Amino acid sequence: MILESRKIGSVMVVGGGVTGIQAALDLADAGYFVYLIEKSGAIGGAMAQLDKTFPTNDCAMCIIAPKLVECGRNLNIRIMTLSELAGISGTAGNFTVTVKEQPRFVDLDKCISCGLCAEKCPKNVPDAYNAGTGRRKAIFLKYPQAVPLKYQIDAESCLQLKRPGSCGLCETVCDAAAINFADTEKTHTLSVGALVLAPGFEPFDPEPAGIWGFGKFPNVITSLQLERYLSATGPTEGNLARPSDGKPVRRIAFLQCVGSRDENKCGKGYCSSICCMAAIKGASVAKEHVPGLAAAIFYMDMRTHGKGFDQYYEKAKNELGVRFVRCRVHGVEPQGKNGDLRLRYINEQGRQVEEYYDMVVLSVGLGTPANMLDMADLVGIQMTPSNFAATSDFSPVATSKEGVFTCGTFAGPKDIPQSVIEGSAAAAAVAGFLAPARGEMVRKLSWPQEREVRGEPARTGIFICHCGSNIAGLIDVVAVERYAATLAGVVHVQRNIFACSEDTQQVLINAIREKGLNRIVIAACTPRTHEYLFRATLRAAGLNEYMVEIANIRNHTSWVHPGNPQAATAKACDLVRMAVAKIALSVPLAPITVPIIQKGLVIGGGLAGLTAALSLAEQGFTVHLVEKTNRLGGNSLNLKHTYTGEHVPMKVAKLIDRVLVNEHIILHSETVVSGVEGHVGNFKTTLKNANGRSRTVEHGIGIVATGGKIYAPDEYGYKTIQRVVTSLEFDKLHDLKETHVKRGKSFVFIQCVGSRDEERMYCSKVCCTHSVQSAIELKREDSSRNVYILYRDMRTYGERESLYKKARQMGVVFINYELHGKPRVTSNGKSIDVELWDHVLHRPLLIKADMVILAAAIVANRDAENLARLYKIPLEQNGFFQEAHAKLRPVDCTTDGMFVAGIAHYPKPVDESVAQALAASARAATILSRQEVTLDAIKAIVDPAFCDGCGLCIDVCPYHAITLLEKAAKGAQAVKIVVVNEAQCKGCGLCQGTCPKRGVSIAGFTLDQLRDQVRAALQA
Amino acid sequence: MMYEFKVSEIAEEFGVHRNTIRNWINAGTLVAQEGPGRKYLMKFEDYQMLCEKFGREPLIRPDSNVDLRTVSTLETEKKIVPVLELGKKVKTLYDDSQWADECLTCGTCASACPISGVDGLDPRKIVRMAILGLEDDLIDSDWAWKCTMCAKCEDVCPANIQIVNLMRRLRSRRDRDKVPGPIHRGVMTCLERGNNIGIPKEDFLHLMEELGDELAEGCCPGFVTPVDIHGARLMVTVNSREPFAEPDDLKWWWKIFYAAGESWTLTSENWEGVNWGLFSGDDEAMRAVVGRIVDNMRRLNCETLLLPECGHAYYATRFCLNRWYPEALKEFKICTVFDLLLEYLHTGRIRVDNTIHTKRTVFHDSCNYGRKSMRAFGQAYYEEGREITRACCPDLVEMEPNRGSNYCCGAGSGAWAMPFADERVYYGRMKARQVSESEAKLVIASCHNCRDQFKKSLNQEYNLGIEVKYMWELVADSLILPGRRSLE
Repeated sequence: MILESRKIGSVMVVGGGVTGIQAALDLADAGYFVYLIEKSGAIGGAMAQLDKTFPTNDCAMCIIAPKLVECGRNLNIRIMTLSELAGISGTAGNFTVTVKEQPRFVDLDKCISCGLCAEKCPKNVPDAYNAGTGRRKAIFLKYPQAVPLKYQIDAESCLQLKRPGSCGLCETVCDAAAINFADTEKTHTLSVGALVLAPGFEPFDPEPAGIWGFGKFPNVITSLQLERYLSATGPTEGNLARPSDGKPVRRIAFLQCVGSRDENKCGKGYCSSICCMAAIKGASVAKEHVPGLAAAIFYMDMRTHGKGFDQYYEKAKNELGVRFVRCRVHGVEPQGKNGDLRLRYINEQGRQVEEYYDMVVLSVGLGTPANMLDMADLVGIQMTPSNFAATSDFSPVATSKEGVFTCGTFAGPKDIPQSVIEGSAAAAAVAGFLAPARGEMVRKLSWPQEREVRGEPARTGIFICHCGSNIAGLIDVVAVERYAATLAGVVHVQRNIFACSEDTQQVLINAIREKGLNRIVIAACTPRTHEYLFRATLRAAGLNEYMVEIANIRNHTSWVHPGNPQAATAKACDLVRMAVAKIALSVPLAPITVPIIQKGLVIGGGLAGLTAALSLAEQGFTVHLVEKTNRLGGNSLNLKHTYTGEHVPMKVAKLIDRVLVNEHIILHSETVVSGVEGHVGNFKTTLKNANGRSRTVEHGIGIVATGGKIYAPDEYGYKTIQRVVTSLEFDKLHDLKETHVKRGKSFVFIQCVGSRDEERMYCSKVCCTHSVQSAIELKREDSSRNVYILYRDMRTYGERESLYKKARQMGVVFINYELHGKPRVTSNGKSIDVELWDHVLHRPLLIKADMVILAAAIVANRDAENLARLYKIPLEQNGFFQEAHAKLRPVDCTTDGMFVAGIAHYPKPVDESVAQALAASARAATILSRQEVTLDAIKAIVDPAFCDGCGLCIDVCPYHAITLLEKAAKGAQAVKIVVVNEAQCKGCGLCQGTCPKRGVSIAGFTLDQLRDQVRAALQA
Repeated sequence: MMYEFKVSEIAEEFGVHRNTIRNWINAGTLVAQEGPGRKYLMKFEDYQMLCEKFGREPLIRPDSNVDLRTVSTLETEKKIVPVLELGKKVKTLYDDSQWADECLTCGTCASACPISGVDGLDPRKIVRMAILGLEDDLIDSDWAWKCTMCAKCEDVCPANIQIVNLMRRLRSRRDRDKVPGPIHRGVMTCLERGNNIGIPKEDFLHLMEELGDELAEGCCPGFVTPVDIHGARLMVTVNSREPFAEPDDLKWWWKIFYAAGESWTLTSENWEGVNWGLFSGDDEAMRAVVGRIVDNMRRLNCETLLLPECGHAYYATRFCLNRWYPEALKEFKICTVFDLLLEYLHTGRIRVDNTIHTKRTVFHDSCNYGRKSMRAFGQAYYEEGREITRACCPDLVEMEPNRGSNYCCGAGSGAWAMPFADERVYYGRMKARQVSESEAKLVIASCHNCRDQFKKSLNQEYNLGIEVKYMWELVADSLILPGRRSLE
């Protein structure tokens, strides 16, 4: 008898970028111990280098910093920096991994990140974090918000390490005695059950290709360098100045596809998928920085295929005035000797145009560098021809080696949301694989005993954040500090460069303890992203977590009053005063915990729903799977092949089989959701089947995977001309070898039918690839066929580009049309005439087609509205479910415990639907793996002394959290009073505002607190 | 409606020199008459036609007295183009999808090409027409003959479309009696009489002897022109235009051979190095001409073949040797002007004086020795020419862009001999600008055509005020002659 080797409940995540961080957090929260190994000195990866992120223009650092801190303080994540995978042995479930850790030469425990060392260090070198735009010292901090926030010595440039005795200044000035020149490389041997490879990418280096003048003309920069120039923490503090002479940039050009879609100069055939959006963002943000800036983007196809991207593109084009030129530029030449740059291109009319720019930005693509390929080799996983980790579309985070998973850009070029989705997906895949070992290796969090502060007079501590230069660049923070010290009850005021950075948390903790603070005001950014971080800090300091108040002097002050430093400073003082007044009346609040029903509900039995249900079931959770039809599979039943050529019907049939035999999955077919009660951890959903019978199921989380449907076109003669069909109709005819298809010699595909127009300003994402695949198939069957694809922008993103190439190779003709010159489809009874203009020759074309195939849009399902109402999940304007945050919470809904996956979220292909379904499962597992959930204590509290049960509040409560209770009083008649379901209450305060009798108030936002806050505001 | 302009304005607009505009006016390319105040007048339609011809957007200045309504009428009238029905014809021009089908229509080629838009065509349009089956239009168009097949388009094409092959195919598909200029005639003369111009053997031998005598009387005492020397190390071909028109130009090489003490020879027959079959798209002729060179090499049992005067000759010969005579390459080797001169300099067989040429100098990269050789043979000559030039000219600077991205002089692939002078001069504006931006006063070329374009055309057209030399002319002029060695 062969015993299955024991599985180990710990995981190694390789790569500390946003993808690896997400995987690590989800795994740690789901009961696994994580080793997060990072090659550089701090986690954060490429996202930490970005200025803003598309399509929300959120500050990248502001949204990743909380995740960094969370990672840094999670007991079940061990961050290992300067470390690389050096060896792997053993089998899936029980690997032995060796990790080589380079010496840091700075003791992590002793370093207090004061920065004296770097100040004194005489050696100045180009700074990789700033993509070479700025300089750092040989001893350096990777970036101000780095986790761990510790200095490191770069042995390559350190004078003392290169020639002992020649320097050593840092050691002399370090009060903490943290410098250790004798530090050596260490080897760690670790046992893990699984690996997640998320090492990310390396931006393409345009210097060797030569033609763009990078490395030769200083004003030619890469897109990553532009991020640093635009960033407040970059070398120019956000001023867009020319590197050559510091002259303000008035004209800027972006050249797309540098290091992508260029097999000649770059040796890369694939599309990097993100650069179009990155360039639009760069141009838009640059225009914000420099009023009147002329920005032009030179491109081949504008690939803005993600959620919200086309709107972003249209806005840049129509509102911000970014110029888009459909021509790739062959090279950059110097114009004169003063640093100007010359571009020559051909306009759409075929005329020559020459233009001059101050700065040219090369939109560099993503690629896998040699050291990552070596790692892939070492681990023994297969790579694709484009050098990305090979995965199946149906298990997009599993590598070719059992127990080794992958996610992010290492598994193909992709943007941050998709990377974060895959990070979570990898966590789900690992959790499914290691399910028997869940919880075996984790450590429990323990907080210090909370100090009782009730009854103490207020001893308020105020911490004023510079936010780099975001706040301090405009507001006189010293004046705010001076003013704050004068406020009543304030005993301590301090400024911090970044209040949210990890080291500042220790500063806060120390101050709280040493000064005996019992109330904290943080004058910084928004509580929306940062409040919970400071709450945790208070807990770590032994203070009740609700004794903190945030004055948002960034979003509400420095950002909105950029031209008026004096007034902004005054306003910052006002906000601080208000916060101090409010926190003075705060009382400690006790946490509320509710038990969790460790079951899931998945709505929708398509590919995403099936995948999510199976993933949860394989992690050991019971799942109710609800499908409104009598058949599982959804839209995937219409598909034949994925873009990599996998046979969809076979794979889906297998998936359905696995779902049907899984004992943890309870299938409810021909059933819809008709009612919902409850909240995260405790949902009660009423299901109604085809016979009209209802039953209620209890579940802790819900995943919405209700898919979408194909748009019914009303143009191009659809329904009036025979043989004008939609792509799905064509697939069926083709599959059935229908005569007209079989004998057809001339086929025309029209793209973007119903997509990217005024009514639906979004890209349906799958249609370009789908039409290209059909065209290839038609040509393969009969190479003498004429096949035409009429497109607006070919969006065969990522490695799909190879299909586009293959189609061209086979002689498929691609003709570009614009919205103002749509093709005309008419019929003379015999053949179908398609007329349009050729985009290169500028002459009218006529195609006599045997069949016209319309690549019709994907639209949202109507029943999404019902679910949205029942679960209180917002829909975006096109009817797709809105995620909590486009970038960092791409599968979470704003309703806690609800998640979304698949086309219900946005049109997407098989691999992305599967990844998102797995991600939803991983996010759900972080809840389901716990026995109970702790809820925010900011809830409505009923004061029985004042509430007379009038019930006005019941009607206004949007969460149905309030009910009326008749209570038999001791004496005579029954007393009416309202009760609040704490789990359902969101603390929104509508009840408090409505109650005429002070019968209900919100903890932390009592009327007294608000009154004092308003009074303070009016004091000025 | 009349359009009023100043020569300088329109020169700036078209990126050419005032001289070129005046030449256009004199030649009738630009139909204009002189008006008052040093201004010229032309019909607005003629101005539009001119823009159309050179692929430029008409520019209306506030002071040019043009009624914008008329302009738009003309624009719309122009746009009546017949509908093209696709899929009717079978494609015969190419069978490799890499020649056209794989095109992304991204425009990189057209943005790189100096004559994009001229006559309404550019490399992208030509590739597109090939895809859409407009083969007759392409073959009938003169565009492929105005193109210098410099391969700048191909060099930057992200899809690796073989544009130059396509251009050459267009040339080869033209009826031979419709090949523009003297190219086809030259090919036929060469096949029939051994050289492009048809110089009889006696005349040639007599001239060679005479030139040798002149050299012996001058700087190279004892010099005798070697002809048909069996077992000479080096066999050297001749460009028929030199004996025909510029015989003294032959002496530079001969002087260098003399100084180096080289064992070399000319041949009495089939000495032509020029191979216009490359330009006319005539593979058979190209092969035959190289076959004769191979015969000569075998007959005289020489070690090394030198094509001394033009990049195209080297390119065509090496190309043919690789393709049709691979066995011959085992018997002898082919060397370039760069290989040989560097060998002489490195081994000390010749010494040069670097105090003679003190002007600021640029080295012009030949397309044939550069990116075309790189693509065809995996070997380009960029640094060699610079090293040789620097040995003679201490103040060597660069043009931008250079090496593989260099702009063609505008006269390659037979354009110098073609009847399309306006286009050739217009083409050369990119080169002229590169030269003037470099502030060089001496331009070194390694090709006949490039040198002629610089020296006889661009220098005057663009008022460059430059001196132009062949690389070997520069070396010959810088030679420190070995005193009386030949008398010893």
